[in-house]
Amino acid sequence: MTRRRDVARGAATLGTALALLGAALFLVLLWMVWFWVPTEAVQGVVQRIFYVHVPSAWVAFMAFGIVALCSAMYLWLKDERFDRAAVAAAEGGMVFTTIVLLTGPLWGKIAWGTYWTWEPRLTLTLLLWFIYLGYFLVRQATENPERGKRFAAVVGIVGAFDIPLIHVSVLWFRSLHPQPVVLNTEGPALDADMGITIGVAVLTFTILFLGLMMLRYEVETARARAALLEAG
Amino acid sequence: MKGYLGQLGAVVRKDLTQELRTRQRLATMGAFTVLVGVLFNFSVDPALVSMQDIAAGLIWLTLIFAGVMGVGRTFSLEAEDGAFQGVLLSPIPRDALYLGKVAANVVLVSVVVALIVGVFGLFFQLDYGAHPLALALTLFCGVVGFVALATLFGAVTAGTTLGESLLPVLLFPLLVPMVVYGVGATNRLLMGRPLTEVEGNIRILGAFAVAAVAVGAGLFRHVVED
Amino acid sequence: MTAPGGPRLEAEGLARTFGAQRAVDGVSFRLDPGCVLSLLGPNGAGKTTLLRILAGGLRPSEGVVRLGGEALDTRSPEWQSRVGVLSHQGFLYGHLTARENLRFYADLYDLDDASDRVEAGLDSVELTPRGNDEVRTFSRGMKQRLALARTLLHEPDVVLLDEPYTGLDAHAAAVLRGVLETLRDGARTVILVTHNLTEGLELADRVAIQVRGRWVVDAPSAQFDAATIHDRYREVVEGAGGGAP
Repeated sequence: MTRRRDVARGAATLGTALALLGAALFLVLLWMVWFWVPTEAVQGVVQRIFYVHVPSAWVAFMAFGIVALCSAMYLWLKDERFDRAAVAAAEGGMVFTTIVLLTGPLWGKIAWGTYWTWEPRLTLTLLLWFIYLGYFLVRQATENPERGKRFAAVVGIVGAFDIPLIHVSVLWFRSLHPQPVVLNTEGPALDADMGITIGVAVLTFTILFLGLMMLRYEVETARARAALLEAG
Repeated sequence: MKGYLGQLGAVVRKDLTQELRTRQRLATMGAFTVLVGVLFNFSVDPALVSMQDIAAGLIWLTLIFAGVMGVGRTFSLEAEDGAFQGVLLSPIPRDALYLGKVAANVVLVSVVVALIVGVFGLFFQLDYGAHPLALALTLFCGVVGFVALATLFGAVTAGTTLGESLLPVLLFPLLVPMVVYGVGATNRLLMGRPLTEVEGNIRILGAFAVAAVAVGAGLFRHVVED
Repeated sequence: MTAPGGPRLEAEGLARTFGAQRAVDGVSFRLDPGCVLSLLGPNGAGKTTLLRILAGGLRPSEGVVRLGGEALDTRSPEWQSRVGVLSHQGFLYGHLTARENLRFYADLYDLDDASDRVEAGLDSVELTPRGNDEVRTFSRGMKQRLALARTLLHEPDVVLLDEPYTGLDAHAAAVLRGVLETLRDGARTVILVTHNLTEGLELADRVAIQVRGRWVVDAPSAQFDAATIHDRYREVVEGAGGGAP
């Protein structure tokens, strides 16, 4: 028991360290985005939103991978810790999915002249957001909390199977239906400095996410412990 | 002793007997289908849009909405007198139970789809002449994939306090591939295009159906067992 | 009916937690074949939870169940096909006939001679004349008799009865009593959960009282009479602050 608590405390320390490192890197990233990286020639300054948009999307999908993996492990081993990891990843994932959905249209309005297009990756992210929503809805909607955890895990696993198919299908749909007003269907052509900035951004967001996820995991552990104490 | 298939068959027979006797779900789904057809008729201005151009989408959306109504009730029908508890205490393998439910629901939804095709064909003067078998296969693959997911998540929502209203939220995002490829193929078939153009779509729909059934059969146990 | 000397039912350290709450908190017992045990206890003592575990409807958080010395997973078909459960709900489909209901369960239990067993089951609870009527037209007592036939259809070694007398008419209660005697003679093990202390004592060979997830009394019923069981019950339940029966 004490050993397990030590391990948990170790995770909390690591989580704090990662979150702080992520925050520091974020300051570096901000400096790079505002002062260092050159402005993209065609799209102008608005292209800089990519340094938030792209890494958020990366984190959102990575998080869902973690959710699905931990969900499968939870159903298999019935070990609470996997469920805690899954819900921690899902919360982080939902936040970053929301960021993608907010930054995408902002950029789209200027680049494409419209807030919303059925751009495949944006469409996929929207659907991912709803799958995350379903994950949290079933989790909270059961009287027996353990059942909610199992239901959420099922949503997570089926979602993970379906996401690649959704991706393929929206790509195919797109190939049949060219968009009316599109200045540039692909992302901007990157020069070396932009590539470096994107790389730093992805690294920063990943570290920040992992740190937050570990801290969130700790909150969930503490909550379970508090419930145990309360029940006496 | 008939083993696995006997147990599976018992579930199918029970569900269909129940449905034949009450006609609860068929009646509501059928009436829904016809009425939706009527509403669609008045929601499109024939001077601007031709019904034939959007019929494929309407068929698939009606399939999904009517299907959610019918399949969503599978497990709430079981709730009477705790009968489903009795089933879960019996030694039937959980995947056999799931597959039996899916099979019975496929029969039910297929009947409704036949009605959709018939009624919409009549209402909107659709021509199914070119490739009726390919169209049937397309729709059947869609029905199997849809029912597989709807049955799994129907069991999930039946176990929540939110009930059936939650089903579309869980289900619809996952149905995007089915709608994209299903409507794509149906559109081409209604326009009388060559079969080679829809072969790929039907293959993907079939794969979607098989994958959905397999995933559902694997996960169902975790949904119904406390 | 099998010969006397059926398998012995044993449980060791059964526990089940819901979140942080321990509904069943370490229950152990050993029941010889032919034994009828009455399980008493106040509401919320976890009796139904224990029964659901034994029925194979709920995974125990801890503990083992053995039948005839063999440890079995209560979620396995091997276990579930040897246990029968009768609760105050009948587990019956109202829109199926009595015969169809039994036939459905016979197929779920994968029984060899399904048709014969269904007929014998109907006969044993005196429902043969109503066999082709839909169950929703049945009275509460008839439903419960049919449910009893359903419970015993696969000749389970262990029979679990959860408040089976609730709302029964005299006829059904008499049938149930007769069946309990047959089970005892047939070396089945019976666990009967009931609120009614007098009745529980009268029918049983052993009496157990469960309070807050634990068995605080587990003794031969011969140790008690109608007065002492009430005294003992009040003592252990109030002693644990467990509330009214």
